[in-house]
Formats: sequence, structure tokens, C-alpha cells
Amino acid sequence: MTWRIILQLALSGLSIGSIYALVGLALVLPFKASGIVNFAQGEIVTFGAYLALILSGLGLPYLAVVPLVLIGAAAFGMVIERILIRPIVSQPEFTLVIVTFAIGLIIKAGIRLHWQDNTFSIDAPFVGPPLALGALRLNPAYLVFIASMLVVVAALFVFFGYSKFGKAMRASALDSIAARLMGIRIGSVFSAAWALSTMLGAFVGLLLGPVIGINPEIGHLILKGLVAAVIGGFSSLGGAVAGGLLLGLLETYAGAFFGATFKNVVPFGVLILLLLLRPQGLAGASSARRV
Amino acid sequence: MLGKGLRGLLCAAAALYALAGLARAEEPGVTQDGITIGAFGPITGPAAYIGLAGRDGANLAIKEINAAGGINGRKLQMIFEDDGHSPTKALAAVKKLIDQDHVFMIFCVAGSNGTLGTIDFVRENGRLMYVSFASAPGVTWPFARNMFRGGTTEVPRYGELYAEYLHDYLKATKIAILSGREEYPKNEGEALTAQLKKWYDVAPVKRAEFNIGDKDFTPQLLDIQGTNPQVIALFGNPAEAAIAMRQAKELGMNQPFFVGPTMVDQGLLTAAKQAAEGASGFALIPLLPTSSNPEMKTWLAKWKQEYPNLPAGRPNTFDLLSYADIYVVADALKRAGKDLSTDRLIDALEATNEYRVGAIATPRSFTKKHHIGNLRLQAMQVKNGEWEPVPFESKRESDILKRYQ
Amino acid sequence: MRARVLLILVGLACLAALPLFATSYYLYLAELAMINVIIAVGLNLLSGNCGQISLCNASFMGVGAYCTALLSTRLMLSTLISLPVSVVISALLGAALGYPARRLSGLYLALTTLGFLELVGIVIEEFPEYTGGIRGLKVPRPEIFGFSFQSNASLYFFVLALTIGAVVVGYNVRRSRYGRAFDAVRQSPFAAQALGIPVARVKVIAFSLNAAFAGFAGSLLAGVVGFIDPPEFGVLTSIQHVTFIVVGGLGSITGSIAGAVLLTALPEALRGVQEYGELIYGFVLLGTLLFLPRGLVGVVAKLKALRSAKPSAKELAYGAP
Repeated sequence: MTWRIILQLALSGLSIGSIYALVGLALVLPFKASGIVNFAQGEIVTFGAYLALILSGLGLPYLAVVPLVLIGAAAFGMVIERILIRPIVSQPEFTLVIVTFAIGLIIKAGIRLHWQDNTFSIDAPFVGPPLALGALRLNPAYLVFIASMLVVVAALFVFFGYSKFGKAMRASALDSIAARLMGIRIGSVFSAAWALSTMLGAFVGLLLGPVIGINPEIGHLILKGLVAAVIGGFSSLGGAVAGGLLLGLLETYAGAFFGATFKNVVPFGVLILLLLLRPQGLAGASSARRV
Repeated sequence: MLGKGLRGLLCAAAALYALAGLARAEEPGVTQDGITIGAFGPITGPAAYIGLAGRDGANLAIKEINAAGGINGRKLQMIFEDDGHSPTKALAAVKKLIDQDHVFMIFCVAGSNGTLGTIDFVRENGRLMYVSFASAPGVTWPFARNMFRGGTTEVPRYGELYAEYLHDYLKATKIAILSGREEYPKNEGEALTAQLKKWYDVAPVKRAEFNIGDKDFTPQLLDIQGTNPQVIALFGNPAEAAIAMRQAKELGMNQPFFVGPTMVDQGLLTAAKQAAEGASGFALIPLLPTSSNPEMKTWLAKWKQEYPNLPAGRPNTFDLLSYADIYVVADALKRAGKDLSTDRLIDALEATNEYRVGAIATPRSFTKKHHIGNLRLQAMQVKNGEWEPVPFESKRESDILKRYQ
Repeated sequence: MRARVLLILVGLACLAALPLFATSYYLYLAELAMINVIIAVGLNLLSGNCGQISLCNASFMGVGAYCTALLSTRLMLSTLISLPVSVVISALLGAALGYPARRLSGLYLALTTLGFLELVGIVIEEFPEYTGGIRGLKVPRPEIFGFSFQSNASLYFFVLALTIGAVVVGYNVRRSRYGRAFDAVRQSPFAAQALGIPVARVKVIAFSLNAAFAGFAGSLLAGVVGFIDPPEFGVLTSIQHVTFIVVGGLGSITGSIAGAVLLTALPEALRGVQEYGELIYGFVLLGTLLFLPRGLVGVVAKLKALRSAKPSAKELAYGAP
């Protein structure tokens, strides 16, 4: 194991970890706002990628496609929240789980019907030959993944910390009744949380599409996003980010040292161990009850 | 009193059932002017690209055959059922086709697992099943008179051809294998390893695996790079192959890749771009849909006219395979004559010798001893961004046929 | 009450008479539906009654299926032995999951079960010498004392008899003190604890029972289809199992039966729309969940309540829908 390999793997791990972090964030946001885990989040990523494909096909350059996809995804998220989620928010958890799965199924089936299983590709300015840094080869896309994640985290930090609406969302997550009493419109908060979440998911699709190709199965990484969120205790945005990066690194190194089986086992092994031993994640407050 | 009424009812039911059975005594699926073929394959789920193409290619062939007069005055008709790539659902599809729709024969465009779920039922039932795509050996072994395999060849044969090509043609003795953990790719990886050992006593310098859906292959590639192979054999899907090839180039690995048949496809070239240059592999069909061969161009025009709105990536290999296989079946049906029965069709198929509908298909042959229609694959290489045929002909005799003697 | 018993008897009579006039296709579908009924009854005990969400039900089904497959092909054991052994192994595995997970609920429990499901899948694929790996495994027909259930009718009656048995067991569990303990744990673990119910132990028993039912169903599935592979027991299948009880009615045996039968029939009924089947299935599911949140059983209860203005005993206990 040379230094070169270790560093190369670190770059790989951090970049895929950034992707997991973004998906984890997208999962934690609506959970904090309305207590719902959106199991369709993987398909939201796919949706973002295909939306980019459509817009790209109209001749728009990548940088123009990005804001359009984000807006489209936000609108999509708000529509789903209003029409499908809001009416059933009080139903048992199972119903909510199945509803989000059904939404995901519909999105994936619809995409598959129209585009079938071909892997499409779109051009993006960050896809290109690797940059050399000594003996290291730096894939520019990987750098963009990491940078994007940092930008998103910074933006969310500013939003939740300093903007009025962001503070309103934090208040609602802490205590929705008190927030209501303070005049905060919970409905808008829910909508905004979902819109943010679908925007994040679509953003991941935008990033991944040009690099790994666009096909109906890319949403499978929701499982990794779930693990990332769990590492962060499913209640902390920062935790989800840390969880994603940690997972990416763990996976990559495990795969390198122990083979593909281990790479597969790592996320779920970590998931189960954490949930059984420390469900509040590595950072959160204890939420398991003694029974 | 109730007992009598109930008994009467049961008798009536039994009588009706018996009568219905008598009515079905003539050959099912064959009428004065039509032959009904039942077909199944995955048209939903991740394997849909196989079944949809299988169905569409078959339907195109059927349309042409009917337009040219049909089979001995009868029109061909196909009922297609989805199997969702699940053995449970595949068995439901076949039971429906045979017991409910009373088809004459089954044309199978499903993957291996779906097909294997139905084999016992079909073997016992006696209806003829012609398998176009599934490469699992269980289709033709143990030998059963009513089971045939057309387009694709058996998994062990892939191993034989790959080994011969890599060792005798590319003259490579240091081979690394990178395979995905899914049915087809895993089979290929193992078949290659087994055959390299059996014929040449060579072991791969590295066997690495990846998970289907992986986006990053750096760990595996670095591992492989350490063993300094001459060729990297990659078995998986075009999406992953493209990423792996690009990443390999980025890591400074310039060894040529050798890929499985699902990657000998335009999709790989679109996704991998420059990184695919120099890669070689075997195609299941002699000409790819993108070939400039005039016969292929004609066929492509016909296909596009029939299916104008399908997305990029279609037609694919499976469209061509099932199209060609329908013609094989139709040719045999014609020779079986107007007095059609399963036995006659089996005899006619077994007499098929190097038949193909044109240069776009590989010749198929069946014998009384074995029903493996095709033992050939076409070697191809990426030259200047296109898959070009490579003049490689297998010289070694296949071991597979030995057990059918 | 009389009407209900009569209805059940007529239903059973129809089921018994099915092989007389149904093709092997319909018999096969009936067998699949019955296997799903067993799944639904077991899952409802855990999730509907005891309130523990589980996304790994398909894994226990897989464990039962693979155990039976291996016991009958490798050790040549009769179904008389392989079936109960598979059930026991599944139950033990259920307890093995339920025990460490006893402190979890809601999302965390769901994710733990999801992780468990993925790990079981990995294990199945990692030992292809035993499990056939991704290539799948052939399974012989069930066989007792040398009699192999080869014919369509005999296999059908075999599955029917066992399904009736399973439903009866499920019904009795619900009415037993364990069933009541399950309900208590669902409604309020604190109150249950205060009442002296050993909540942790009850949860483990619920998991174990669920796994036993699922393993039982998996064992039957292996014999009925004759071929199993890992995707059969993956995430999508687990979700399907949850849809049985959500659409049928949480906590209700009738609901389990209704949901399982309907959602087994639905994909088959959608064969006509060919590749649109998945999309339409998704919409039907979504529609059912949005408009019938209490499931089919809830619809019946609502109709009954509409007819008689008085609140039913159920509503008095659980509140009006």
C-alpha cells in the first residue's frame, strides 16, 4: 500500500462520500420537518438526471440546465408534498413508507417506459481528463463533487442560521405546536422542506449524470444516503454530511483492502451496528427508550 | 337430500371437464388459418431491455412472414407475457400461455433465471420451447426433445471462446478479470477462469469483483494495476464498464480491455468515449445495428419504420437475436408441413442446418443429439470509435458437445 | 355470527372444488395467493398488531425457502422434516433480530430491518456453492413418506391445508393473551410496561412469530415454484408484503387475507397492459393508500357504520375513523 494509492483512494472515497452526504441531507430535511422519510429520494435523483437530459437535448448548455433543473425539482417536490403527502401525514408510519415507495416506483416505471434502459450521457464542463498533481491523478469531476457538497453545506448553514425562513424551519422542527403559536405557517415549512429536499436530490442527479451515465437504476444509492443519515442520527444535517463522507471513505478502503464483498457489507453492517448500539448516531442525543 | 344434489353437481362438473379435455385433443394453438405462439420475457424491471427488444424483434419478423404469405397458408400470431425477470412470475406466464391460452409452442425471450423457473413445467408438459437468449446450460442439458436454444450460446462456450481468443489470438498469459456480482457477468468470469485453467493451465493474475450499481472502481483498478496484466477482462453492464474504463485511463492503465457481449454495444462507446478505444469483445450477432453493412442498413430501416418512436439504444442485440430466431422457427414450421404437430416441428428443427435469415444473423444448426443452435460468437474490436469485426475464427473443438454424444 | 361461519364454509368449499374446473394456471395463482396470505397474517401480527415496522419480511421468507431447498436437495430430507426445520430456523433468526432491535421503533427499526435484509441477501450470494448464488437454486416438489406432490391437485390441497392451518394459528394467537399483549405494546409501550407486560419479550416473540410465518410461506413457495433466486427475496418483495397488510387492513386477519389475495391477483390482471403494468400497479397502490387509508377492512367498517348510526365496538375502542 503506497502513499499514492492511499491518497488516490481518499479522493475517491471523499468524492463518492460527498454524493452520499448530499443524498443523506436530502433525506434528513423532510424528516426533520414532517417526520417522514422519503423513500422515493433515489428516484428524485434519477428524475433530476433525466430532467437534465431533456433540457440538454433541447440544446441548452449544462450551466443553463442546472438552475432550470433545480427549479423544476423544487416545484415537483412541492406538488408531491401538497397532493400526496400532506393528506396522509397523520396515517400510520407504514402507510407513509409505502406511499413514498409507490411514488418512487411510479417515477422509475415512467422513466423506464419512455427512455427504456439505455444509458444516456450529457456533457458537463467538469468532465475531462484528470489533472496531474505529482503522482496523483485528480479526476476533476471528483473535485467538483466535493466542492459542490461544501457549497451546499455552506448555503444551508447560512440559510438555517441567518435567514428568517430558515429559522422558522428550525423552530418548527423543534416544536411544531409552539412554532404555530408563534405565527409560523407550518404548511409552508413542510413545502419548503420538501422542495429543498427534492432540489438536493435533483442536484445529485445533475452531478452524477455526466459522470456515470443516465439510466433508470441510478436511484439505487438511496440506501447509501440512508446509511449516511443514520450515522448522523437522522436528526442532524451536519451529521448526515459527516456520515456520508465517513461512509464513502469506509467503503472505498474496505473495498480496496478486503474486496467487493466487504465493500457491499460495510454500509449495511455499519447501519445495523449503529442502529443497535447507538441509534442516535455518532453525534445526536439519545432517542432509544429503555423498554 | 343435499348429498344427492351435490353429487349430481359434481358429476356434471366432471363430465364438462372431460368433454373440455376431449375438445382439446387436436393440436392446441393450430387452427385452419393460424398458429399461435406464446412468448415471455421481462418487459418491466431492470431487465426490460431484454424482453422489450425480444418482443419487438419477434413481432417484426412475424409481421414480415405473414405479409409474405405466412406458414403453409397459416398466419403466425404471438401472445406475449411479462415475467419481470422472476422465476415465480415466469412460471405463471408459461402456465397461462399453455393451459389458458393453449398456444402451440413457447418462444422464450427471458433471461436465464426466468427461463429456469419454467423448464421443469415445460419439459413435463411437452409443448416445444425455443429459447432465444438464456444461456444457462439447464436449457439444453439434460437433453429434452422439446427444448431448443437458438441465438445465444451456452455459458461454458463463452468461456471457451474467450480463453482461446485471449490466449491464442491476443497472445496474453497475464489476464486480470473484473466481474460484476450479477448472474451473467459472474458466469462469464467463472467460465473464463475455468477454461483458461483447463486448456492452457493459466490462472488469472487477479480476480476482482464489483457490485452492480457501483460508481467507483478505483480500489479494484488499483489492485489490478499492481499485478501488471496484459489484458483486463471486464464483465458487467455498459454503464459500469464505461466508468471503469475511464477510471483506468485516469489511473494511467493502458492495457486493452476485453468485454462481455452486453458491452459490445453502441451504448458503451457513447458513455466511455475515448477510453473504449482498443477494447475487444465478442458480439452475439455478426453485425451490430450501427454497422455500415448494406443488409444491416436495410434491416434497420425496416425496424425504424415499424418502431419509429423508440429511444436511443434500440434496436439492440436482442431485437436482432429474436428476429433471427423467429425466422429459424418459421423455416422449420414450413418444413413441418400443413399437418402440423409438435413432433413434426421437432423433426424439422433437428434437420435445420446452418440456416440464417441473412448476414445479420449467425447460422443455426440443430441435430438429433443436441439442440444447441449456435456455438459461434463474433469477435469485435473498437477501432476509431466504432466496433469493427475481427477476423478471429475458433480453431479448437468445443468440449460442450462431447456430453451429447 | 352464523352468517360469518356460513360464509367461511362456502368459501372453503369453493376453494376445495377449485381443482375440478381450474387450469394449472389458476391453481398456481391460488397457491401463490395462499402463500401470500400466510405472509400477510404473519406480518400483520408483527406490524399491524404489535406495531413493529419490518422491511425484512422477505428475508425470513428467503431463509425458509433456502433452508427447505438445501435440506431437500443436499440431505434428501422429506418435507415432513425440512418444512418444520425451516420454520424453526426462521423463527430463531427472527428472535436474533428482534432481541437487539427491541429498543428501537419507527424509523430506526425500519432501517435496521432494511439493513438486515441487505445483509441476508449478501450472505445468500456469497456462498454460491450452497445457495446457488445469483444463479438460483432448483427445488423439488414437497414430498411426505415417499408421496411426492407432483400433480397439480395434490400440491394445491397441500398448500390449501397448510394455509388454513396457518390462518387458524394466526387467529388463535390474536385472540390469545399474546395477541392482546401485542396490541397493548402497539398502543402504548409505557402503559403496557406499567401493566406488567414484558414489552421487550413480547416484541421478540412477535418478531419470532412473524419470521416463522414468513419462513413457512417461503418453504412452500420454494416447493410450488421449484426454483428460487435472491431477487425473489429482496427489498421490492418486502415492500410488497407490507402493501398486503396496509391495503388489506392493519391488525386484521380478514384484512390480511383480502390484501394478499387482491395484490396477488392485481399484477396478473395487469398482464393485458404489458409493459405499463408496473406503472399502473404503482398508481393503484397510491390511490388505495390515499383514498382508503384504513385499508379494505376500513372500508367495510365504514360502510357498516354508515348503515347503523351507532358506533361499532371497534370504533368505541379505537376511536372513529
